Amino acid sequence: MPTFPNVRLANRPLHFIYLCDCSGSMAAQGKMQALNQAIRQSLPGMARVARENPEARVLVRAVRFADRAHWHIAEPTPVEQLQWQDLQAGGVTAMGEALELVAAQLASPPMEERALPPVLVLISDGQPTDDFEAGLALLLRQPWAQKAVRLAIAVGHDADQEVLQQFIGPDPEAQLPAGEVPGASGEMPRHRTGGSGRSPRRPLQASNATTLAQYIQWASTAVVGAASMPASRVDGDVSGSNIPLPDLPPTMVDMVEDVGPVVW
Amino acid sequence: MTWILPENSQLSFEGLSTPLHVLKGLGSGSQGQVYEVELAGERLALKWYLPACIARDRQLESRLAAAIGATAPSASFLWPIALLRPTAATQAQLRCRESGFGYLMGLRPPGFVGAIEHYGGRVDLELRQVLRACLELTDAFHALHSRGLCYKDISLGNLFLEPSSGRILICDNDNVDVDGRDLGSVLGTPGFIAPEILMGRARPGANSDLHSLAVLIFRLLTRHDPFRGALEREIRCLDEPARRRLYGEDPVFIFDSEDQRNRPDPELHPAPLVTWPIYPRELQALFLQTFGPGLREPGRRALTGQWQEALSRTLDRRQLCPSCGQENFPAIGADAPAAPSCWNCGTVLPPPLELELPCARVVAATGTTLHRHHLDPLQPPQWDAPFAEVVAHPSDPQLLGLRNASGSDWEVTLLQGRQITVAPGMSCNLAALRELHTDGGVIRVRR
Repeated sequence: MPTFPNVRLANRPLHFIYLCDCSGSMAAQGKMQALNQAIRQSLPGMARVARENPEARVLVRAVRFADRAHWHIAEPTPVEQLQWQDLQAGGVTAMGEALELVAAQLASPPMEERALPPVLVLISDGQPTDDFEAGLALLLRQPWAQKAVRLAIAVGHDADQEVLQQFIGPDPEAQLPAGEVPGASGEMPRHRTGGSGRSPRRPLQASNATTLAQYIQWASTAVVGAASMPASRVDGDVSGSNIPLPDLPPTMVDMVEDVGPVVW
Repeated sequence: MTWILPENSQLSFEGLSTPLHVLKGLGSGSQGQVYEVELAGERLALKWYLPACIARDRQLESRLAAAIGATAPSASFLWPIALLRPTAATQAQLRCRESGFGYLMGLRPPGFVGAIEHYGGRVDLELRQVLRACLELTDAFHALHSRGLCYKDISLGNLFLEPSSGRILICDNDNVDVDGRDLGSVLGTPGFIAPEILMGRARPGANSDLHSLAVLIFRLLTRHDPFRGALEREIRCLDEPARRRLYGEDPVFIFDSEDQRNRPDPELHPAPLVTWPIYPRELQALFLQTFGPGLREPGRRALTGQWQEALSRTLDRRQLCPSCGQENFPAIGADAPAAPSCWNCGTVLPPPLELELPCARVVAATGTTLHRHHLDPLQPPQWDAPFAEVVAHPSDPQLLGLRNASGSDWEVTLLQGRQITVAPGMSCNLAALRELHTDGGVIRVRR
């Protein structure tokens, strides 16, 4: 029976790393459970995106940080093999140390010589209690961290937005001349905001479990897709970054929870 | 997954006399969500756009309306059937406050898989089915371009294949536009975008479709990207600026006849080193043309008609290796190499038995089919309706016959001159056959 030759495909690794705040405050109002659920629920969709991108090997890791930072998943794990073990909350917020752990892994070696841009997702509900600046400086000294897509999700309203913005890097929209509204010149906005002033270049505000799940799903599917096998391009996609980020998920009306935050 | 349209709901839309039953969400992408729906007893697919997609593509609605009015260029397109705008009552039921719209199209039949499944090596196809898929793809684009339309965004992502037959379906026809009118904002998919579009020197149209089409055919035939060779090896982080260099600023075809800078690396890019040599020079020449001078001069890209001819002739030259059974496509007639050998096992291929038809010479190999266009160049190919098929004898696979798949008798002359009739459904032994008369023309056996 003749068949198409069984050839090995060219591919590159895509490292996806979660940095999860497990401080004591995450225990409040079910935030920790909501994050565990959101990540676990997002895995099938992430596996599907990985399957649709045979030129990328999507490898997932996770760091948890509280009193200290530790690798929660130390081994770069193919997403289809990943089983999410629940994170537990308790302690303070060693975010700086978490960045140091990631920095060490983004050095070459252990990073491969050739790869797709890594995706780093920082999720936090509070403020760092250690030397965040030192950790960030160490991270951003690594060329792979500079090339990485860095996203941040603020869980609830007590997260330190400024710290999360520093992790992401400067928001290009914020650098417009004073008084100028993005897109007012008639050109497309540099970042598509989904109509609510949100931008993936700013911390994503997850005020309830539904929104948190949406952002986690977006980061693990749409962003992974954009960093590995890009989707269609349209006019106005030229952005300041090395990876054009996909649209944020639309703001959905939640038929049940449309009464304001229920979980916290 | 949060679905904008509630699943298992009855929704009314402007212009529809009966409510639409939304059965379930099928999938979502960067532009919108796709649902399975039922309308007046018929199962259909509905694509609903995300607000951000509508906001940045202001001509989307008018383009769709024009496409719906124009109807599908061929059966290979899952073409938009009707534009759906929600009534006020429906809008209130949607889980998205911003108003939106969508369109109805045919449901993808079972058995079709994303072309990416073939690219990723997860479905088994024979080479002839891959070639057939490429041929149907060029037929579809030929029909589209002949109508003065262009597609703008063809890629592996919007092509579906039926592995058993090589039939294709093209979806996401919402960027289709009148060539040159430029009502739209899509530029294409990275890796498939023509260099002049990527570099902002031109707008997408039929000429850039020819580049994207060639990339897609190359990727289907070789399971590799035509521009990823040694120059990609030098790139550490494959991001947007790197892609711009590789595909826009300085694109070099990995098999360019002169520029050797971007040859495949045996370690990193093993696939094209195996697959490219399988195809005949005539087919390779179209890639060398499109990805050579055609990169800088869009007018020099291979045309859909040239692809149709080259792919069709390649299929007609299919031979099976007597040793390993693999499909080979060596040139025949005057261009035939002295002693062609199998790309897979190196066995020298014996001179084949050829069928001479009014418009083609076809090598007799099990599974090869004959179509109306082999008899009459003005006939469309009708891939799903062959009038004859080369078959192996059920108990002796070495014995080849020609099965009458037409609706009428064949008058056959055997080698000794005896005349027999072969009724529809019957097969006659090619080794005994001199010529046969079909209702469309004469077939002679050349030894």
